[in-house]
Amino acid sequence: MIQYVALAAAFALSALVGGVDNAFAQAAFVGTLALAGLGLVLIVGLSGQLSLGHGAMMGLGAYAQAGLVGMGIDGLPALAAAATVGALGGLVASIPGRRLGDLGFAMSTLALALVVEEGLLRLAPLTGGAAGLVVPPLTVAGWRLASPVAQAVASLTLLGAALWLVGRLRNSRLGRAWRAGRDDEVAAAAVGIDVRHARLLAFVCGGALAGLAGGLHAHWLGFLSPEQFGLPLSFELLVLVFVGGVRSLSGALWGSIVIVSLPQAIAMLRQALPGFELGAAGLELVAFGLIVVALVIWRPGGLRPEGR
Amino acid sequence: MLGCTIRTASLLSWALIVTVADAGVPGVTRDSIRIATIQDLSGPIAILGAPIRDGIVMRLDEENARGGVHGRRLTIAVEDSGYDPKKAVLAARRLLAGDNVFAFVGNLGTPVVMATMPLIVGAGRPHLFPFSPHQATYQPLQPLKFQIFAPYRDYMDAAVRHMVRANGYQRVCLLYQDDDYGLEVGRGVESGLGRLDMTLVERTGYKRGATDFSSQIARLRAARCDLVVLATVVRETVAAMREARKVGWPVDMLVTASGYSAQTHELGGAEVEGLYGVSVLPHPYPGTDTSRRLGEWIESYRTRYDADPNVWSAMGYQVADIFVQALRAAGPGLDVAGFVAAMEGLETSRDFLGGPGYRFSPDDHLGNRRGRLARIVDGRWRLITDYLD
Repeated sequence: MIQYVALAAAFALSALVGGVDNAFAQAAFVGTLALAGLGLVLIVGLSGQLSLGHGAMMGLGAYAQAGLVGMGIDGLPALAAAATVGALGGLVASIPGRRLGDLGFAMSTLALALVVEEGLLRLAPLTGGAAGLVVPPLTVAGWRLASPVAQAVASLTLLGAALWLVGRLRNSRLGRAWRAGRDDEVAAAAVGIDVRHARLLAFVCGGALAGLAGGLHAHWLGFLSPEQFGLPLSFELLVLVFVGGVRSLSGALWGSIVIVSLPQAIAMLRQALPGFELGAAGLELVAFGLIVVALVIWRPGGLRPEGR
Repeated sequence: MLGCTIRTASLLSWALIVTVADAGVPGVTRDSIRIATIQDLSGPIAILGAPIRDGIVMRLDEENARGGVHGRRLTIAVEDSGYDPKKAVLAARRLLAGDNVFAFVGNLGTPVVMATMPLIVGAGRPHLFPFSPHQATYQPLQPLKFQIFAPYRDYMDAAVRHMVRANGYQRVCLLYQDDDYGLEVGRGVESGLGRLDMTLVERTGYKRGATDFSSQIARLRAARCDLVVLATVVRETVAAMREARKVGWPVDMLVTASGYSAQTHELGGAEVEGLYGVSVLPHPYPGTDTSRRLGEWIESYRTRYDADPNVWSAMGYQVADIFVQALRAAGPGLDVAGFVAAMEGLETSRDFLGGPGYRFSPDDHLGNRRGRLARIVDGRWRLITDYLD
């Protein structure tokens, strides 16, 4: 409970110092990254696989969304399509898992991420290539979600729905299969669980969530370029879930708050420090790194380590 | 139809400006003007962001030392995006609402600029001289968007024509980075050659980050090129020249302004001697042939930052200088509409940094389209032409 009170206080302080728009824009980004993070929790935390290319699934969703709304399709069905494209990406990413060991499979997801980034660059007639793509605000049934408040509401609503859905999934037959395969693959197979199939479905579900997050992210940023969905984003998502708690669904939310809002808090603090108003190269990055290291040492299981 | 859309957009923008002005001018008080810049101080192009910031801050401080513009001190909020558009969007929102700045000057990086520009312009604030070659920074015409950095296509067209006319090249080829930058340069080169009834003899690309250019150089050599245009950045420029010299091919090469950097001859040494380059602003070298004013500026920069200035410092200084000139022209009763009107009538003269004069009008918010040629001689860039049309 005290964590949520602290969070509300931090939000109020952020709105006071950086403006209400900034606070809600942060909430919107927290929601989208938490959605993608939730997909990764499902893959890494629940089913016990390592994905080094989750950012690419987000990219597929983002570009699918941009392309569809560019064709005049309403935002909501476009988001469904973005999630589907992300799921297909997850399906493709999981295929090498049938033949490769853990590390080899992780490397194949990394390779897929590189292929996706390169593909987005090369398919310039569709993606705009390196010149990028301007994305209009999200419009749902004629309602234009251009304000940060509307964006935050949309992000957090979809995140809430996804948390509920994944919570149900975790306790379903499939969720039990994921956890059994994660804890002991041989024992799970011995009791009749098709571990490979279950793991493939984890990638599909995780990819769908990343695709959905990418679709929203495209609108909140308003501009897409392939390098935004390169390896740094995939590693940022991994940091997000490990900081938040890789086996906890709400860990995705807490990790996302750290990834999005901590640098903002450091930037605001820096502005208030005499002598640092004009920025110091790398200061914010170093401060962020130190805090994340401290968090990992202090809470090795993540901020929300509970979960089964 | 397009004209009608532009006029409507223009009217809407002006309505927004008037609304903002009526509500009090953001960032402007009786004794100060607050502006902002979003730089990359910790990401992949931090090597550019820090000197740009330093150049901007230096020019503002100079103006403050003289009493400010119409009695108002200039203050600046600097934000580090790390080249991440998400961070940049949040920084822009904070600067618009929390800092309530008057204008954004010299934001760095295309993804950052493209993600933040709609927010800035949508909030009725001027978006000035971003470090991005994207056409959207000045087109379609919008009252609040101004740019000074010449597009690759325009100045490479003129540079190639001049090189061919002056040196009589017959077989011009292109080595290009396989992305939008390379394509833009390619279009400029083809356009320039087309105006001389010539075509590109050979073109070959490379992927960003490549370090080995042996196959590309072999291909260009096999095509018997006598001028190779390089759409490369610093490291690739050096690698391409080095490979050509290694295989004993003394071909002339011309690099875009992205390769016009002191780092090119510092890294390349003797192997990049004779390289031609396009400059949109000269590198500020100290030395005997430096003008007194430029020498003083270099010394002042060194004293202030304990580092030598480079072309990025000079560009930062220049964007701040143009902003200051527009503020002066806008007069003491500063508001956004007045500032935009002053910008649209601004014509700057050439200064001690050696940049071109910049000219803006109500129909054209791109202040310069020209570059000039330079060549590496005795380990430093020497300007060999004036600005080319």
